[in-house]
Amino acid sequence: MSLSGSESDSLASRRSKKPKYSKFTQQELPACKPLLTPGIVIGAFSLIGIVFVPIGLASLSASQAVVELVDRYDAECVSANDKVGFIQDTKTDKACTRTITVPKPMKRPIHIYYQLENYYQNHRRYVKSRSDKQLRYKDSAHMIKNCEPEAASEDGAPIVPCGLIAWSLFNDTYAFSVNKKSIEVNKKNIAWDSDKSNKFGSDVYPSNFQKGDLIGGAKLNDKLPLSEQEDLIVWMRTAALPTFRKLYGRIETDIMASDEITVVIQNNYNTYSFGGTKALVLSTTSWIGGKNNFIGVAYVAIGGICLFLAMCFVVLYVVKPRVLGDPSYLSWNKETPDHPN
Amino acid sequence: MKRFVYINDDSCQNSYCDNRISNTKYTLWNFLPKNLWEQFRRFMNQYFLLIACLQLWSRITPVSPATTWGPLIIIFIVSASKEAWDDYNRYLSDKKANERKVWVVKDGIHRQMKAQEIHVGDLVWLHENDEIPCDLVLIGTSDAQGICYVETAALDGEIDLKTRVIPSISANLSPEQLGKVKGVVECPNPDNDIRRFDANMRLFPPIIDNEKCPLTINNTLLQSCYLRYTEWACGIAVYTGNETKSGMSRGTAEPKLTAADAMIDKLTVAIFMFQIVVVLVLGFVGNIWKDTRGLKQWYLMYPAKGPWYDFLVIPLRFELLCSIMIPISIKVTLDLAKAVYAKFIDWDEQMFDHETRTPAHSANTAISEDLGQVEYILSDKTGTLTENRMIFRRCCISDTMYGNDNGDAVKDVRLLNAVSSNDPDVIKFLMVMALCNTVVPIKSNDGTVSYKAQSQDEEALVNAASNLNMMLISKDSSTAEICFKGSKFYYKLLDILEFTSDRKRMSVVVKEGQTGKILLLSKGADEAILPCSYPGQQIRSYLEAVEMYSQLGLRTLCLGWRELKEDEYKDWSKKFQEASCSLDNRECKIAEVCHSLERDLHILGVTAIEDRLQDGVPETIKLLRNAGINVWMITGDKQNTAIQIGLLCNLITSEPNGQLLSINGNSEEEVLRSLERALVTMKTTRETKDLAFVLDGWALEIILKHSKESFTRLAMLSRTAICCRMTPLQKAQLVGLLKSVGYLTLAIGDGGNDVRMIQEANIGVGISGREGLQAAGAADYSIGKFKFLKRLILVHGRYSYNRTAFLSQYSFYKSLLICFIQILFSFLSGLSGTSLFNSISLMAYNVFYTSLPVMTIIFDKDISETTVLQYPQILLYSQAGRLLNPSTFSGWFGRSLYHALVIFLITICAYADEKSEIDELSMVALSGCIWLQAFVVTLDTNSFTYPQIILIWGNFVAFYMINLILSAVPTLQMYTIMFRLCSQPSYWITMALIVAVGMGPVLAFRYLRNLYRPSAINLLQQIEQTNGCVQTSRDLEPALESARSNLTNLLTGLCRNRGLNYQPLLSDSAEAAR
Repeated sequence: MSLSGSESDSLASRRSKKPKYSKFTQQELPACKPLLTPGIVIGAFSLIGIVFVPIGLASLSASQAVVELVDRYDAECVSANDKVGFIQDTKTDKACTRTITVPKPMKRPIHIYYQLENYYQNHRRYVKSRSDKQLRYKDSAHMIKNCEPEAASEDGAPIVPCGLIAWSLFNDTYAFSVNKKSIEVNKKNIAWDSDKSNKFGSDVYPSNFQKGDLIGGAKLNDKLPLSEQEDLIVWMRTAALPTFRKLYGRIETDIMASDEITVVIQNNYNTYSFGGTKALVLSTTSWIGGKNNFIGVAYVAIGGICLFLAMCFVVLYVVKPRVLGDPSYLSWNKETPDHPN
Repeated sequence: MKRFVYINDDSCQNSYCDNRISNTKYTLWNFLPKNLWEQFRRFMNQYFLLIACLQLWSRITPVSPATTWGPLIIIFIVSASKEAWDDYNRYLSDKKANERKVWVVKDGIHRQMKAQEIHVGDLVWLHENDEIPCDLVLIGTSDAQGICYVETAALDGEIDLKTRVIPSISANLSPEQLGKVKGVVECPNPDNDIRRFDANMRLFPPIIDNEKCPLTINNTLLQSCYLRYTEWACGIAVYTGNETKSGMSRGTAEPKLTAADAMIDKLTVAIFMFQIVVVLVLGFVGNIWKDTRGLKQWYLMYPAKGPWYDFLVIPLRFELLCSIMIPISIKVTLDLAKAVYAKFIDWDEQMFDHETRTPAHSANTAISEDLGQVEYILSDKTGTLTENRMIFRRCCISDTMYGNDNGDAVKDVRLLNAVSSNDPDVIKFLMVMALCNTVVPIKSNDGTVSYKAQSQDEEALVNAASNLNMMLISKDSSTAEICFKGSKFYYKLLDILEFTSDRKRMSVVVKEGQTGKILLLSKGADEAILPCSYPGQQIRSYLEAVEMYSQLGLRTLCLGWRELKEDEYKDWSKKFQEASCSLDNRECKIAEVCHSLERDLHILGVTAIEDRLQDGVPETIKLLRNAGINVWMITGDKQNTAIQIGLLCNLITSEPNGQLLSINGNSEEEVLRSLERALVTMKTTRETKDLAFVLDGWALEIILKHSKESFTRLAMLSRTAICCRMTPLQKAQLVGLLKSVGYLTLAIGDGGNDVRMIQEANIGVGISGREGLQAAGAADYSIGKFKFLKRLILVHGRYSYNRTAFLSQYSFYKSLLICFIQILFSFLSGLSGTSLFNSISLMAYNVFYTSLPVMTIIFDKDISETTVLQYPQILLYSQAGRLLNPSTFSGWFGRSLYHALVIFLITICAYADEKSEIDELSMVALSGCIWLQAFVVTLDTNSFTYPQIILIWGNFVAFYMINLILSAVPTLQMYTIMFRLCSQPSYWITMALIVAVGMGPVLAFRYLRNLYRPSAINLLQQIEQTNGCVQTSRDLEPALESARSNLTNLLTGLCRNRGLNYQPLLSDSAEAAR
């Protein structure tokens, strides 16, 4: 009879419903359950302390070995009371001479930075106002959608490079002499190689740049392709913070202690209208970068705190020992059950 | 509201649909719009769509629109493809059913056609074992008596065979005549009630019979049932396609929302409000900055006067920047996790019932967390706590109790003697046992008779009668044959007065073959039968017997009979016919007519049927009660039986440690007074005493009408209750009452009478037991035995809740973390709404970097299953929602704020001055987030299995791989960035610093709390670890076994102390008790 067939079928299908046993399906995968025992925690904190303090000291000494000279010149280089008026006047001579005495010997290469404060390169209007396509490809000169309000000249021709970033290119210049002897500033290779080869086209030349009524910052040499306009490339790597330094060039000679550096600054760039500051920075480097004590100090401090905490935990554990996993602490085993219901 | 079906007449019923079944939700054409509409009904999706649309406005968007569109589209595609896949499978199964071949008779010619081509009014010809393609009115069968058997398991889950009869009007028609029959069936419009079909049929000439013939559900063959043990049957299609009874009862259940989901929604709203505040404040400050300082920044070239909507631009930008505060992926993540929890339940070998070979199954994959938060369990008794395997144990026939000595009346010598000496009362008693039922005897080939019954009690009675030499041999719609001591007796079955839960009794009217006497045989609950006794009959002894039996936890039925006079029966029969024909309110009218006949009964005696407790029930209830869950027993059974079972299964404790408050009375006032008394007692008694109240359906009805509030208060105070004599509706009302005061309820039952309760409760659990699969079909979870409930709740429910609690809060944490960094950065970027992170990083952060490792939490176990079952009190943590609530969430909120500060400040300090290039700095901050979140997940994971370790640290490696690959693509903004960073020692030093500062305080805080203010979970973890052995729950079985035997002894002693005539239902031997 067909019934018996179907019955055995249904029986078989029922059988197959039995869950297959595996450690995964039964949630019985081998597991390790580390507890925060005093040993582990005190050990972890001690270890952090022991590792962090030396790293901190190493970073600190590296940072201390860096010789950094910062010379803020924005106030001193303008004698007039109307600073904004002075800086906006294109006719006046804005040359300004600064003298810096070197306290410690500086090994080459010595990096020259300009430092701007209170300058919002990270402002949304600013960071968006560029056209990467236009900078890279000759045929994309018309791609100026994001560049407003510095997108095209009055007759509608696209500006290359367009946008606020390029338009506001920093245009102070520095001329150095050590002990009255002028030295050369190497301005080659101050931009990232990857930018020069892949972000800025070697066949893209500036056009219509700084030709409008409002002149923002520096002008560009129309004969040089963008990939060789390194000041522009550096400037267009926008900074994330309102205080930033950008590489100006390098001095490829060593400078002795108590040497006198004379800098002739062409003080062109307007930071006066918004209360920004300008500074010239000369700095050597180390494996950790420029002079920055933060990491060293933080490491030493954290390491110290960790060691201190580890010690506290040890003391606490000795003074007030607690047996791990004592069932008598369970609330329902206590005399007065603190039932929340 | 009637439908007229003209048999075999194509011209009249074009308006009805054909038999094409369609369960699909969508068609090819409406899939996209309908599915999108469904998805957009969710608030979260609307919100994200709004954000995505705002992002299209380039003036305000801080990042590329892809950051929202991408994930949004992915999420939509994932949900839509799941829906499409489900729908496609439904379409395939529909297609299979629709294209099945069936035989249809048209004008006497048999033709084979596809099932979908059947129209209303067609005559469908079925063969043995055919599946019935649509709802038919049976008009002919191969059986001479006009009956056939159907298996209705697919419809109601009942595995027994049901008898269906042809209406009297079409009896004696030859198959040839059937093929040409014409007529009209008058039936109600399609509904979903599979127990009712109140219709009439009239046949046209040449069959001359102008009488309307009533039709009931017994004359129908319903779709999706099977024809069994019948060579052929034919019927008229009355409902087709989706209008059949089974088609109408298929409904899509409303999705249930778990308490954890509701909490997540609440937190989402809170975050949303917070976001609005942040946006308004930052937008306002941003506008001020723009107007004061921004205009002076010449290089920004702010126009002196912008468009009119200028003041909106900055707030909208911040809105977009902050939209990531609400994690877009949380819904998908949680759905995925829930699907895995449900799979773990399906897979659980320890919830596999070896006896019936049924695994646990979770039909609803979305509510596993609720299992861990159950506060009230409302349990059915029969079949849920007990085995529902009925055995006839004792009886009381005319003042003599049988079976008291050995606990088995069938073996009681006195009864056997009484049978052999032809004691008339005893014989009548056995006759009622054998005849007054709806049992179908099935004769197998070797001559033995087995019984198929809808009610387990009836089967037990018929079996017992046959053991006592009164054997029911055969039965069809009109006659029954009984064999008593070898000689056969015939009875004509005149009428069956069916059992309903309101009447609580059933009767049959039979005509004795030899004497021609008409007899009414009745059986039913004591309170339904004893009042019907003839005036003057002594029923005290029966009342005592009922009392005694129910104290033993036995189910009792009273039997009675009466002889009917010829004309009395005729009068009544007419009225009964009328009532059966009425189209509206038929049930009520029938009950009225039945009641008029069921009076002046000679009470024959009382039967007592044992229903043994299921394996492991007392331990399970004890465990659940220890876990802080209030267990209520809700049964249709008698009070005494219920109390006895309650004692046996640890539900209630006897004096002096416990007290049972009874709420009853003869009048409304008495009931209400006893309710107030119980309430006062409940309030004043010491907490240690185990109080419970007991009430019956009658009292509940009064209380719900007059004093719902004090009852609600009582319900909140009482940990235990026994509610007996409950109708299915009252069961559901009780669930609703507890739900209305905010408790999370779980209803568990096995039979059709529990379905409403199961559907009403937050969680419905069905036992796939002997009363069919109806309850299991309606339930969210189905299990084989009651004892699996402890694992379902304590293991699966608890883990699911813990995991979801972590998963959801972590999702918010990581979203808040990155959002706080963006906000902090905006303070340094002139409040202009610049995004620190580029679009690719933001998108990948949400979709890849942070969603994969956290998924490993679905393997996490804070404490082992063994420990949970050992210390069930720990459920309190999930029950009271201690792991996911505003206070734990504020902890996560604080942590994300702290971590954002740590990452941001360290990054801008370490990457200051000449290093402050925006792409590098943002990548440093992003790496900081990835590092920290890997450690956060690690610290919050309780147990590490290899998938967890692989995913957490694999993700970490993947982050660097992905970013190194992206850094090699020249057109991207982050070209070479990652290579530059990885080669700087200061990058790695910064990362280590972020981790140390970010995690150090968290670690120290957690250590101190675990050691000096540990939660119970911490303590149990410590106990587990220091005891040094990781037990699997398999090792627990021997321990449970010994506990079980101890408990049995304890209970035996306990009941002996009460001085009851007690027979332990847990042990088989009666001697042990005495």
